[in-house]
Amino acid sequence: MEMCRGPCSHLISLLLFLLHSEAACRPLGRRPCRMQAFRIWDINQKTFYLRNNQLVAGYLQGPNIKLEEKIDMVPIDPHAMFLGIRGGKLCLSCVKSGDDMRLQLEAVNITNLSGTKEQDKRFSFIRSDNGPTTSFESAACPGWFICTALEADQPVSLTNRPEDTLVVTKFYFQEDQ
Amino acid sequence: MFILYVWITGLSAFTVQPQEHTGHGTSSSLLAAGDCQFRGKHYKTEFRVEGEPVVLRCPQVWSRFGAPISPQALLTWRKNNSAQMIPEGPRMWAEDGALWVLPALREDSGTYVCTLRNASHCDEMSIELRVFEDTEASLPFISYSQILTLSASGLLACPDLREFTRNRTDVKTRWYKGSVPLDENNEKFISVEGTTRLLIHDVSVEDAGYYKCAITYAHEGRQYNVTRNVKLRVNKRKEETIPVIISPLQTISTSLGSSLTIPCKVFLGAGTPDTTLLWWTANSAQIESAYPGGRVTEGPRQEYSENNENYIEVPLIFNPVLREDLDTDFKCVVLNTLSFQTLRTTVKEASSTFSWGIALAPLSLVFLVLGGIWTYRRCKRRTEKTRGLTALKTGL
Repeated sequence: MEMCRGPCSHLISLLLFLLHSEAACRPLGRRPCRMQAFRIWDINQKTFYLRNNQLVAGYLQGPNIKLEEKIDMVPIDPHAMFLGIRGGKLCLSCVKSGDDMRLQLEAVNITNLSGTKEQDKRFSFIRSDNGPTTSFESAACPGWFICTALEADQPVSLTNRPEDTLVVTKFYFQEDQ
Repeated sequence: MFILYVWITGLSAFTVQPQEHTGHGTSSSLLAAGDCQFRGKHYKTEFRVEGEPVVLRCPQVWSRFGAPISPQALLTWRKNNSAQMIPEGPRMWAEDGALWVLPALREDSGTYVCTLRNASHCDEMSIELRVFEDTEASLPFISYSQILTLSASGLLACPDLREFTRNRTDVKTRWYKGSVPLDENNEKFISVEGTTRLLIHDVSVEDAGYYKCAITYAHEGRQYNVTRNVKLRVNKRKEETIPVIISPLQTISTSLGSSLTIPCKVFLGAGTPDTTLLWWTANSAQIESAYPGGRVTEGPRQEYSENNENYIEVPLIFNPVLREDLDTDFKCVVLNTLSFQTLRTTVKEASSTFSWGIALAPLSLVFLVLGGIWTYRRCKRRTEKTRGLTALKTGL
Protein backbone atom coordinates (compact mmCIF):
# COMPACT_ATOMS: atom_id res chain seq x y z
CA MET A 1 0.00 0.00 0.00
CA GLU A 2 2.76 2.35 1.01
CA MET A 3 4.58 1.54 -2.24
CA CYS A 4 1.59 2.51 -4.39
CA ARG A 5 0.83 5.99 -3.01
CA GLY A 6 3.90 7.65 -4.51
CA PRO A 7 3.39 6.86 -8.22
CA CYS A 8 -0.41 7.30 -7.89
CA SER A 9 -0.14 10.85 -6.62
CA HIS A 10 2.39 11.64 -9.36
CA LEU A 11 0.02 10.27 -11.96
CA ILE A 12 -2.82 12.43 -10.61
CA SER A 13 -0.71 15.57 -10.62
CA LEU A 14 0.47 14.76 -14.15
CA LEU A 15 -3.14 14.36 -15.31
CA LEU A 16 -4.12 17.59 -13.56
CA PHE A 17 -1.25 19.38 -15.25
CA LEU A 18 -2.29 18.12 -18.70
CA LEU A 19 -5.93 19.04 -18.11
CA HIS A 20 -4.92 22.44 -16.80
CA SER A 21 -2.75 23.23 -19.81
CA GLU A 22 -5.54 22.14 -22.14
CA ALA A 23 -7.95 24.52 -20.45
CA ALA A 24 -5.54 27.46 -20.36
CA CYS A 25 -4.54 27.23 -24.00
CA ARG A 26 -7.90 27.74 -25.65
CA PRO A 27 -7.06 29.59 -28.84
CA LEU A 28 -10.56 31.00 -29.41
CA GLY A 29 -11.22 34.71 -29.27
CA ARG A 30 -7.65 35.92 -28.95
CA ARG A 31 -5.65 38.08 -31.26
CA PRO A 32 -2.85 36.41 -33.20
CA CYS A 33 0.42 36.80 -31.33
CA ARG A 34 1.98 38.55 -34.32
CA MET A 35 -0.58 41.33 -34.68
CA GLN A 36 -0.57 44.36 -32.43
CA ALA A 37 -2.79 47.44 -32.25
CA PHE A 38 -1.12 50.85 -32.26
CA ARG A 39 -2.51 54.34 -31.91
CA ILE A 40 -1.35 56.72 -34.59
CA TRP A 41 -1.58 60.52 -34.67
CA ASP A 42 0.50 63.08 -36.51
CA ILE A 43 2.68 65.70 -34.84
CA ASN A 44 -0.18 68.19 -35.28
CA GLN A 45 -2.40 65.88 -33.20
CA LYS A 46 -4.65 64.68 -36.04
CA THR A 47 -5.96 61.15 -35.63
CA PHE A 48 -7.13 58.74 -38.33
CA TYR A 49 -10.76 57.94 -39.04
CA LEU A 50 -12.76 56.47 -41.93
CA ARG A 51 -14.99 58.59 -44.16
CA ASN A 52 -16.70 56.77 -47.05
CA ASN A 53 -14.15 53.95 -46.85
CA GLN A 54 -11.31 56.42 -47.11
CA LEU A 55 -8.78 56.98 -44.36
CA VAL A 56 -8.68 60.65 -43.34
CA ALA A 57 -6.85 62.55 -40.61
CA GLY A 58 -8.63 65.07 -38.42
CA TYR A 59 -9.42 66.23 -34.92
CA LEU A 60 -11.85 64.17 -32.89
CA GLN A 61 -13.76 65.86 -30.14
CA GLY A 62 -15.39 64.37 -27.03
CA PRO A 63 -17.51 61.32 -27.92
CA ASN A 64 -16.33 61.49 -31.58
CA ILE A 65 -13.13 59.79 -30.40
CA LYS A 66 -14.96 56.47 -30.93
CA LEU A 67 -14.42 57.02 -34.68
CA GLU A 68 -10.64 56.75 -34.24
CA GLU A 69 -9.01 54.03 -36.33
CA LYS A 70 -6.19 52.19 -34.65
CA ILE A 71 -3.45 50.69 -36.76
CA ASP A 72 -3.01 46.93 -36.70
CA MET A 73 0.62 46.11 -37.27
CA VAL A 74 2.20 42.82 -38.31
CA PRO A 75 6.01 42.99 -38.37
CA ILE A 76 8.18 41.50 -41.08
CA ASP A 77 11.49 42.42 -39.47
CA PRO A 78 12.44 45.10 -36.91
CA HIS A 79 11.86 47.89 -39.46
CA ALA A 80 9.45 46.54 -42.09
CA MET A 81 5.81 45.85 -41.37
CA PHE A 82 2.29 45.49 -42.74
CA LEU A 83 -0.25 48.10 -41.66
CA GLY A 84 -3.99 47.62 -41.50
CA ILE A 85 -7.16 48.79 -39.77
CA ARG A 86 -10.40 47.16 -38.61
CA GLY A 87 -8.72 44.17 -36.98
CA GLY A 88 -6.33 43.76 -39.91
CA LYS A 89 -9.14 43.25 -42.46
CA LEU A 90 -8.27 46.39 -44.49
CA CYS A 91 -4.60 46.91 -45.33
CA LEU A 92 -2.67 49.95 -46.50
CA SER A 93 -0.84 49.58 -49.80
CA CYS A 94 1.07 51.71 -52.29
CA VAL A 95 -0.24 51.48 -55.86
CA LYS A 96 1.26 53.26 -58.84
CA SER A 97 -1.17 55.38 -60.83
CA GLY A 98 0.55 57.28 -63.65
CA ASP A 99 3.47 59.21 -62.22
CA ASP A 100 1.82 59.30 -58.85
CA MET A 101 1.70 56.81 -56.04
CA ARG A 102 -1.60 56.23 -54.35
CA LEU A 103 -2.24 55.02 -50.84
CA GLN A 104 -4.99 52.41 -50.94
CA LEU A 105 -7.04 50.45 -48.47
CA GLU A 106 -7.41 46.89 -49.71
CA ALA A 107 -9.69 44.25 -48.27
CA VAL A 108 -7.08 41.60 -47.46
CA ASN A 109 -6.40 39.90 -44.17
CA ILE A 110 -3.17 41.22 -42.68
CA THR A 111 -2.26 37.83 -41.20
CA ASN A 112 -2.36 36.24 -44.66
CA LEU A 113 0.31 38.61 -46.01
CA SER A 114 3.82 37.28 -46.39
CA GLY A 115 7.07 39.20 -46.20
CA THR A 116 8.66 36.93 -48.80
CA LYS A 117 5.96 37.13 -51.52
CA GLU A 118 6.56 39.73 -54.23
CA GLN A 119 2.82 40.35 -54.71
CA ASP A 120 2.53 41.37 -51.04
CA LYS A 121 5.32 43.92 -51.26
CA ARG A 122 2.92 46.81 -51.92
CA PHE A 123 1.59 46.32 -48.37
CA SER A 124 5.02 46.59 -46.78
CA PHE A 125 6.18 49.80 -45.05
CA ILE A 126 9.55 50.64 -43.55
CA ARG A 127 9.52 52.58 -40.31
CA SER A 128 12.19 55.04 -39.28
CA ASP A 129 12.21 56.53 -35.82
CA ASN A 130 13.36 60.01 -34.95
CA GLY A 131 13.02 60.75 -31.23
CA PRO A 132 9.45 60.10 -30.20
CA THR A 133 8.11 60.17 -33.79
CA THR A 134 8.01 57.64 -36.63
CA SER A 135 7.83 57.90 -40.44
CA PHE A 136 6.62 55.18 -42.82
CA GLU A 137 8.13 54.69 -46.25
CA SER A 138 6.53 52.32 -48.73
CA ALA A 139 8.79 49.37 -49.54
CA ALA A 140 7.21 48.99 -53.00
CA CYS A 141 7.38 52.74 -53.75
CA PRO A 142 10.81 53.84 -52.44
CA GLY A 143 10.97 57.52 -51.48
CA TRP A 144 7.20 57.75 -50.86
CA PHE A 145 6.07 58.34 -47.28
CA ILE A 146 2.68 58.11 -45.60
CA CYS A 147 1.49 61.65 -44.96
CA THR A 148 -1.41 63.78 -43.79
CA ALA A 149 -2.34 67.20 -45.13
CA LEU A 150 -1.77 70.24 -42.94
CA GLU A 151 -5.48 70.90 -43.21
CA ALA A 152 -7.79 68.70 -41.12
CA ASP A 153 -10.24 66.09 -42.49
CA GLN A 154 -8.23 65.41 -45.66
CA PRO A 155 -7.27 61.91 -46.88
CA VAL A 156 -4.18 60.17 -45.58
CA SER A 157 -1.91 59.83 -48.64
CA LEU A 158 1.68 59.40 -49.86
CA THR A 159 4.30 62.06 -50.62
CA ASN A 160 7.75 61.94 -52.17
CA ARG A 161 8.57 65.34 -50.65
CA PRO A 162 8.52 64.69 -46.92
CA GLU A 163 10.14 68.10 -46.22
CA ASP A 164 7.19 69.94 -47.81
CA THR A 165 5.55 72.23 -45.23
CA LEU A 166 2.04 71.40 -46.44
CA VAL A 167 2.31 67.73 -45.50
CA VAL A 168 3.08 65.91 -42.27
CA THR A 169 5.07 62.67 -42.38
CA LYS A 170 5.97 62.43 -38.69
CA PHE A 171 3.64 60.39 -36.56
CA TYR A 172 3.38 59.24 -33.01
CA PHE A 173 3.01 55.48 -33.22
CA GLN A 174 2.47 53.94 -29.81
CA GLU A 175 1.07 50.68 -28.55
CA ASP A 176 -2.56 50.91 -27.52
CA GLN A 177 -2.62 51.34 -23.74
CA MET B 1 -18.67 57.24 -66.37
CA PHE B 2 -21.53 59.68 -66.81
CA ILE B 3 -23.85 56.93 -67.94
CA LEU B 4 -22.85 54.86 -64.92
CA TYR B 5 -23.49 57.83 -62.63
CA VAL B 6 -26.93 58.48 -64.14
CA TRP B 7 -27.71 54.80 -64.00
CA ILE B 8 -26.78 54.63 -60.31
CA THR B 9 -28.81 57.75 -59.62
CA GLY B 10 -31.75 56.23 -61.45
CA LEU B 11 -31.28 52.97 -59.59
CA SER B 12 -31.18 54.64 -56.19
CA ALA B 13 -34.24 56.71 -57.09
CA PHE B 14 -35.87 53.43 -58.02
CA THR B 15 -35.03 51.82 -54.70
CA VAL B 16 -36.17 54.76 -52.63
CA GLN B 17 -39.31 55.76 -54.45
CA PRO B 18 -40.24 53.30 -57.18
CA GLN B 19 -43.43 55.19 -58.13
CA GLU B 20 -41.38 58.22 -59.14
CA HIS B 21 -39.11 56.26 -61.44
CA THR B 22 -39.59 57.28 -65.05
CA GLY B 23 -36.57 55.93 -66.91
CA HIS B 24 -32.80 55.94 -67.00
CA GLY B 25 -30.63 58.75 -68.20
CA THR B 26 -33.34 60.93 -69.66
CA SER B 27 -34.55 62.94 -66.67
CA SER B 28 -33.30 66.48 -67.02
CA SER B 29 -36.04 68.46 -65.29
CA LEU B 30 -35.28 69.92 -61.85
CA LEU B 31 -36.09 67.30 -59.27
CA ALA B 32 -39.02 67.99 -57.01
CA ALA B 33 -38.61 68.20 -53.25
CA GLY B 34 -39.85 64.69 -52.57
CA ASP B 35 -37.16 63.06 -54.75
CA CYS B 36 -34.24 63.70 -52.47
CA GLN B 37 -32.30 60.72 -51.26
CA PHE B 38 -31.27 60.75 -47.61
CA ARG B 39 -27.69 59.53 -47.35
CA GLY B 40 -27.40 59.32 -43.58
CA LYS B 41 -25.92 61.18 -40.69
CA HIS B 42 -22.46 62.69 -40.69
CA TYR B 43 -19.86 60.76 -38.66
CA LYS B 44 -18.92 63.61 -36.40
CA THR B 45 -21.15 65.50 -34.00
CA GLU B 46 -20.18 69.15 -33.41
CA PHE B 47 -19.85 70.10 -29.74
CA ARG B 48 -19.67 73.87 -29.31
CA VAL B 49 -19.95 76.56 -26.63
CA GLU B 50 -22.84 79.05 -26.45
CA GLY B 51 -22.15 82.64 -27.41
CA GLU B 52 -19.49 81.68 -29.95
CA PRO B 53 -19.63 81.54 -33.75
CA VAL B 54 -20.35 78.04 -35.12
CA VAL B 55 -19.88 76.77 -38.68
CA LEU B 56 -21.58 73.55 -39.78
CA ARG B 57 -20.14 72.19 -42.97
CA CYS B 58 -22.53 70.44 -45.35
CA PRO B 59 -21.51 66.76 -45.00
CA GLN B 60 -21.88 66.02 -48.72
CA VAL B 61 -19.19 68.56 -49.50
CA TRP B 62 -16.82 66.19 -47.66
CA SER B 63 -18.25 63.00 -49.10
CA ARG B 64 -17.57 64.20 -52.61
CA PHE B 65 -13.96 64.94 -52.00
CA GLY B 66 -12.29 65.25 -55.39
CA ALA B 67 -15.56 66.02 -57.15
CA PRO B 68 -16.39 69.64 -56.34
CA ILE B 69 -19.96 70.79 -56.16
CA SER B 70 -20.98 72.71 -59.26
CA PRO B 71 -21.82 76.40 -58.77
CA GLN B 72 -25.29 75.71 -60.15
CA ALA B 73 -26.07 73.36 -57.28
CA LEU B 74 -28.49 74.69 -54.73
CA LEU B 75 -27.65 74.12 -51.11
CA THR B 76 -30.29 74.55 -48.41
CA TRP B 77 -30.55 73.74 -44.72
CA ARG B 78 -33.39 72.71 -42.46
CA LYS B 79 -33.47 71.79 -38.81
CA ASN B 80 -34.65 68.54 -37.16
CA ASN B 81 -37.65 67.14 -39.00
CA SER B 82 -39.01 70.48 -40.04
CA ALA B 83 -39.86 70.77 -43.73
CA GLN B 84 -39.14 74.47 -43.53
CA MET B 85 -35.89 75.77 -44.89
CA ILE B 86 -33.86 77.79 -42.42
CA PRO B 87 -34.44 81.38 -43.50
CA GLU B 88 -31.41 83.57 -44.12
CA GLY B 89 -31.05 85.97 -41.23
CA PRO B 90 -28.49 88.02 -39.35
CA ARG B 91 -27.82 85.13 -36.92
CA MET B 92 -27.95 82.15 -39.31
CA TRP B 93 -27.01 82.00 -42.97
CA ALA B 94 -25.59 79.62 -45.59
CA GLU B 95 -22.25 80.41 -47.16
CA ASP B 96 -19.68 78.34 -49.12
CA GLY B 97 -21.30 75.00 -48.43
CA ALA B 98 -21.66 75.71 -44.70
CA LEU B 99 -24.23 77.01 -42.25
CA TRP B 100 -23.04 79.92 -40.11
CA VAL B 101 -24.54 80.48 -36.68
CA LEU B 102 -23.39 83.63 -34.99
CA PRO B 103 -23.58 83.53 -32.06
CA ALA B 104 -24.79 80.01 -31.18
CA LEU B 105 -27.48 79.58 -28.53
CA ARG B 106 -28.18 76.46 -26.52
CA GLU B 107 -31.53 76.04 -28.25
CA ASP B 108 -29.67 75.73 -31.56
CA SER B 109 -28.78 72.17 -30.52
CA GLY B 110 -30.31 69.64 -32.89
CA THR B 111 -29.98 67.84 -36.18
CA TYR B 112 -29.38 69.92 -39.29
CA VAL B 113 -30.15 68.51 -42.73
CA CYS B 114 -28.22 69.82 -45.71
CA THR B 115 -29.96 69.40 -49.08
CA LEU B 116 -27.89 69.57 -52.23
CA ARG B 117 -29.84 69.85 -55.45
CA ASN B 118 -29.06 70.35 -59.11
CA ALA B 119 -30.82 69.56 -62.39
CA SER B 120 -30.35 65.80 -62.21
CA HIS B 121 -29.48 65.02 -58.65
CA CYS B 122 -30.59 65.67 -55.13
CA ASP B 123 -29.36 64.28 -51.85
CA GLU B 124 -29.48 65.04 -48.17
CA MET B 125 -27.25 64.39 -45.18
CA SER B 126 -27.62 65.41 -41.58
CA ILE B 127 -25.17 66.67 -38.99
CA GLU B 128 -25.74 67.03 -35.28
CA LEU B 129 -24.90 70.16 -33.33
CA ARG B 130 -24.82 70.33 -29.55
CA VAL B 131 -24.32 73.70 -27.89
CA PHE B 132 -23.10 73.63 -24.31
CA GLU B 133 -22.79 76.11 -21.48
CA ASP B 134 -19.20 77.20 -20.92
CA THR B 135 -18.76 75.24 -17.67
CA GLU B 136 -16.41 72.58 -16.38
CA ALA B 137 -19.15 69.95 -16.72
CA SER B 138 -19.15 70.48 -20.50
CA LEU B 139 -15.41 69.78 -20.86
CA PRO B 140 -15.65 66.01 -21.53
CA PHE B 141 -17.88 66.76 -24.54
CA ILE B 142 -16.26 69.83 -26.02
CA SER B 143 -12.60 68.81 -25.49
CA TYR B 144 -10.34 67.37 -28.15
CA SER B 145 -8.10 64.58 -26.91
CA GLN B 146 -4.39 65.12 -27.68
CA ILE B 147 -1.35 63.12 -26.56
CA LEU B 148 2.32 64.01 -26.07
CA THR B 149 5.32 61.97 -24.99
CA LEU B 150 7.00 62.50 -21.64
CA SER B 151 10.44 64.20 -21.68
CA ALA B 152 10.18 65.17 -25.35
CA SER B 153 8.97 68.42 -26.90
CA GLY B 154 5.71 68.46 -28.84
CA LEU B 155 2.85 70.49 -30.27
CA LEU B 156 -0.74 71.04 -29.22
CA ALA B 157 -3.15 72.10 -31.94
CA CYS B 158 -6.10 74.48 -31.67
CA PRO B 159 -8.42 72.50 -33.95
CA ASP B 160 -11.21 73.14 -36.44
CA LEU B 161 -10.73 76.88 -36.94
CA ARG B 162 -10.44 76.82 -40.73
CA GLU B 163 -13.44 79.06 -41.47
CA PHE B 164 -12.25 81.67 -38.97
CA THR B 165 -8.60 81.79 -40.02
CA ARG B 166 -8.98 81.50 -43.80
CA ASN B 167 -7.26 84.29 -45.76
CA ARG B 168 -6.09 85.92 -42.54
CA THR B 169 -2.50 86.65 -41.61
CA ASP B 170 -3.25 88.43 -38.34
CA VAL B 171 -4.46 85.38 -36.43
CA LYS B 172 -3.14 85.32 -32.92
CA THR B 173 -3.88 82.30 -30.76
CA ARG B 174 -4.12 82.78 -27.02
CA TRP B 175 -3.46 79.68 -24.91
CA TYR B 176 -4.56 78.91 -21.36
CA LYS B 177 -3.66 76.04 -19.06
CA GLY B 178 -6.90 75.56 -17.15
CA SER B 179 -7.92 79.20 -16.88
CA VAL B 180 -4.41 80.62 -16.45
CA PRO B 181 -3.10 82.42 -19.54
CA LEU B 182 0.26 81.16 -20.83
CA ASP B 183 2.14 84.40 -21.21
CA GLU B 184 4.30 85.19 -24.20
CA ASN B 185 7.59 85.23 -22.35
CA ASN B 186 7.12 81.70 -21.12
CA GLU B 187 10.03 79.53 -22.21
CA LYS B 188 8.24 76.24 -21.75
CA PHE B 189 5.06 77.07 -23.67
CA ILE B 190 5.49 78.88 -26.98
CA SER B 191 2.57 79.83 -29.21
CA VAL B 192 4.00 79.13 -32.67
CA GLU B 193 3.73 82.32 -34.69
CA GLY B 194 1.48 82.29 -37.74
CA THR B 195 -0.12 79.00 -36.68
CA THR B 196 -2.70 77.89 -34.16
CA ARG B 197 -0.25 75.55 -32.42
CA LEU B 198 1.42 75.57 -29.01
CA LEU B 199 4.91 74.15 -28.57
CA ILE B 200 5.58 72.54 -25.19
CA HIS B 201 9.23 72.01 -24.31
CA ASP B 202 10.31 68.94 -22.38
CA VAL B 203 6.83 67.63 -21.53
CA SER B 204 6.40 66.61 -17.88
CA VAL B 205 3.63 64.71 -16.08
CA GLU B 206 2.35 68.01 -14.62
CA ASP B 207 1.68 69.34 -18.14
CA ALA B 208 -1.26 66.92 -18.57
CA GLY B 209 -4.78 68.32 -18.23
CA TYR B 210 -7.13 70.79 -19.85
CA TYR B 211 -5.96 73.61 -22.12
CA LYS B 212 -7.99 76.28 -23.82
CA CYS B 213 -7.08 78.19 -26.94
CA ALA B 214 -8.89 81.23 -28.31
CA ILE B 215 -8.82 83.45 -31.36
CA THR B 216 -10.79 86.59 -32.12
CA TYR B 217 -13.15 86.70 -35.10
CA ALA B 218 -14.72 89.93 -36.32
CA HIS B 219 -18.06 90.06 -38.14
CA GLU B 220 -19.91 93.23 -39.09
CA GLY B 221 -18.01 95.32 -36.62
CA ARG B 222 -18.43 92.93 -33.71
CA GLN B 223 -15.67 90.84 -32.17
CA TYR B 224 -16.32 87.27 -31.18
CA ASN B 225 -14.16 84.79 -29.30
CA VAL B 226 -13.77 81.35 -30.83
CA THR B 227 -12.44 78.89 -28.25
CA ARG B 228 -11.44 75.25 -28.35
CA ASN B 229 -10.60 72.98 -25.44
CA VAL B 230 -7.85 70.37 -25.47
CA LYS B 231 -7.34 67.58 -23.00
CA LEU B 232 -3.67 66.68 -22.98
CA ARG B 233 -2.55 63.24 -21.95
CA VAL B 234 1.14 62.56 -21.33
CA ASN B 235 2.35 59.12 -22.38
CA LYS B 236 5.43 57.64 -20.83
CA ARG B 237 7.74 56.16 -23.41
CA LYS B 238 8.24 52.47 -22.92
CA GLU B 239 11.83 51.32 -22.48
CA GLU B 240 12.90 48.55 -24.80
CA THR B 241 15.65 45.99 -24.23
CA ILE B 242 17.10 43.27 -26.45
CA PRO B 243 14.98 40.18 -25.73
CA VAL B 244 16.62 36.82 -24.99
CA ILE B 245 14.89 33.52 -25.77
CA ILE B 246 15.66 31.27 -22.81
CA SER B 247 13.61 28.21 -23.73
CA PRO B 248 12.71 25.78 -25.40
CA LEU B 249 15.52 23.28 -25.91
CA GLN B 250 16.68 22.58 -29.44
CA THR B 251 15.13 19.13 -29.50
CA ILE B 252 12.03 18.02 -27.68
CA SER B 253 11.43 14.31 -27.20
CA THR B 254 7.92 13.03 -27.25
CA SER B 255 5.93 10.03 -28.32
CA LEU B 256 3.67 10.07 -31.38
CA GLY B 257 -0.05 10.39 -30.67
CA SER B 258 0.41 12.21 -27.40
CA SER B 259 -0.28 15.89 -26.78
CA LEU B 260 2.65 18.21 -26.31
CA THR B 261 3.16 21.81 -25.16
CA ILE B 262 6.40 23.62 -25.92
CA PRO B 263 6.61 26.99 -24.17
CA CYS B 264 8.76 29.70 -25.72
CA LYS B 265 9.99 31.86 -22.87
CA VAL B 266 11.63 35.23 -23.44
CA PHE B 267 13.59 37.30 -20.93
CA LEU B 268 13.14 41.09 -21.24
CA GLY B 269 14.77 42.33 -18.04
CA ALA B 270 13.50 45.86 -17.37
CA GLY B 271 12.16 46.16 -20.96
CA THR B 272 8.47 46.53 -21.73
CA PRO B 273 6.49 43.54 -22.96
CA ASP B 274 4.09 45.92 -24.78
CA THR B 275 6.18 46.43 -27.89
CA THR B 276 7.73 42.97 -27.97
CA LEU B 277 6.02 40.48 -30.24
CA LEU B 278 6.42 36.75 -29.83
CA TRP B 279 5.09 34.03 -32.11
CA TRP B 280 5.77 30.56 -33.54
CA THR B 281 6.30 29.45 -37.15
CA ALA B 282 6.22 26.01 -38.77
CA ASN B 283 8.52 25.75 -41.84
CA SER B 284 8.51 29.60 -41.90
CA ALA B 285 4.69 29.71 -42.12
CA GLN B 286 2.42 31.05 -39.45
CA ILE B 287 0.83 28.44 -37.23
CA GLU B 288 -2.76 29.44 -38.08
CA SER B 289 -2.17 29.09 -41.81
CA ALA B 290 0.01 25.98 -41.54
CA TYR B 291 -2.57 24.15 -39.42
CA PRO B 292 -6.00 25.47 -40.43
CA GLY B 293 -7.59 22.50 -38.69
CA GLY B 294 -6.08 23.62 -35.41
CA ARG B 295 -4.15 20.45 -34.60
CA VAL B 296 -1.14 22.62 -33.78
CA THR B 297 -1.96 26.00 -32.19
CA GLU B 298 -0.33 28.88 -30.39
CA GLY B 299 -1.47 29.15 -26.80
CA PRO B 300 -2.29 32.49 -25.18
CA ARG B 301 0.51 34.91 -24.51
CA GLN B 302 1.53 35.34 -20.89
CA GLU B 303 3.34 38.34 -19.48
CA TYR B 304 4.77 38.16 -15.98
CA SER B 305 7.53 39.43 -13.70
CA GLU B 306 9.92 37.43 -11.55
CA ASN B 307 12.19 39.42 -9.21
CA ASN B 308 11.35 42.63 -11.12
CA GLU B 309 12.47 41.10 -14.41
CA ASN B 310 9.89 40.86 -17.20
CA TYR B 311 9.18 37.69 -19.12
CA ILE B 312 6.79 36.78 -21.91
CA GLU B 313 5.78 33.30 -22.95
CA VAL B 314 3.81 31.78 -25.83
CA PRO B 315 3.30 28.00 -25.92
CA LEU B 316 3.05 25.86 -29.03
CA ILE B 317 0.48 23.14 -28.51
CA PHE B 318 0.29 19.82 -30.42
CA ASN B 319 -2.90 17.86 -30.10
CA PRO B 320 -1.67 15.26 -30.91
CA VAL B 321 1.91 14.94 -32.19
CA LEU B 322 2.01 13.26 -35.62
CA ARG B 323 4.93 11.75 -37.55
CA GLU B 324 5.02 14.76 -39.94
CA ASP B 325 5.96 17.01 -37.01
CA LEU B 326 9.31 15.24 -36.77
CA ASP B 327 10.32 16.74 -40.16
CA THR B 328 8.90 20.19 -39.47
CA ASP B 329 11.08 23.13 -38.61
CA PHE B 330 9.46 24.95 -35.67
CA LYS B 331 10.76 28.37 -34.76
CA CYS B 332 10.03 30.71 -31.91
CA VAL B 333 10.35 34.31 -33.13
CA VAL B 334 10.72 37.41 -30.95
CA LEU B 335 10.76 40.94 -32.29
CA ASN B 336 10.85 44.50 -31.07
CA THR B 337 12.33 47.66 -32.58
CA LEU B 338 15.81 46.75 -31.28
CA SER B 339 16.10 43.12 -32.19
CA PHE B 340 14.78 40.18 -34.16
CA GLN B 341 15.66 36.69 -32.93
CA THR B 342 14.61 33.15 -33.66
CA LEU B 343 15.17 29.86 -31.93
CA ARG B 344 14.71 26.63 -33.86
CA THR B 345 13.35 23.55 -32.22
CA THR B 346 12.63 20.09 -33.59
CA VAL B 347 10.36 17.43 -32.24
CA LYS B 348 12.03 14.04 -31.84
CA GLU B 349 10.36 10.72 -31.30
CA ALA B 350 11.46 9.28 -27.98
CA SER B 351 13.50 6.15 -29.03
CA SER B 352 12.07 2.77 -27.92
CA THR B 353 15.24 1.70 -26.07
CA PHE B 354 15.17 4.91 -24.18
CA SER B 355 11.57 4.47 -23.11
CA TRP B 356 12.21 0.84 -22.21
CA GLY B 357 15.15 2.07 -20.17
CA ILE B 358 12.82 4.43 -18.32
CA ALA B 359 10.35 1.59 -17.73
CA LEU B 360 13.05 -0.87 -16.68
CA ALA B 361 15.02 1.49 -14.47
CA PRO B 362 12.71 1.31 -11.43
CA LEU B 363 12.19 -2.41 -12.00
CA SER B 364 15.94 -3.10 -12.08
CA LEU B 365 16.27 -0.93 -8.98
CA VAL B 366 13.69 -3.11 -7.24
CA PHE B 367 15.59 -6.25 -8.35
CA LEU B 368 18.85 -4.75 -7.16
CA VAL B 369 17.37 -3.89 -3.75
CA LEU B 370 15.73 -7.31 -3.43
CA GLY B 371 18.95 -8.95 -4.54
CA GLY B 372 20.85 -6.88 -2.01
CA ILE B 373 18.49 -7.81 0.78
CA TRP B 374 18.65 -11.45 -0.21
CA THR B 375 22.51 -11.42 -0.27
CA TYR B 376 22.58 -9.55 3.05
CA ARG B 377 20.25 -12.06 4.66
CA ARG B 378 22.23 -14.94 3.22
CA CYS B 379 25.46 -13.51 4.54
CA LYS B 380 23.87 -12.82 7.93
CA ARG B 381 22.50 -16.35 8.19
CA ARG B 382 25.93 -17.75 7.30
CA THR B 383 27.68 -15.77 10.00
CA GLU B 384 24.99 -16.78 12.48
CA LYS B 385 25.52 -20.42 11.51
CA THR B 386 29.26 -20.19 11.95
CA ARG B 387 28.77 -18.33 15.25
CA GLY B 388 26.37 -21.12 16.34
CA LEU B 389 28.93 -23.69 15.39
CA THR B 390 31.62 -21.87 17.37
CA ALA B 391 29.23 -21.67 20.34
CA LEU B 392 28.56 -25.33 20.02
CA LYS B 393 32.24 -26.01 19.87
CA THR B 394 32.99 -23.85 22.91
CA GLY B 395 29.96 -25.33 24.71
CA LEU B 396 31.44 -28.69 24.27
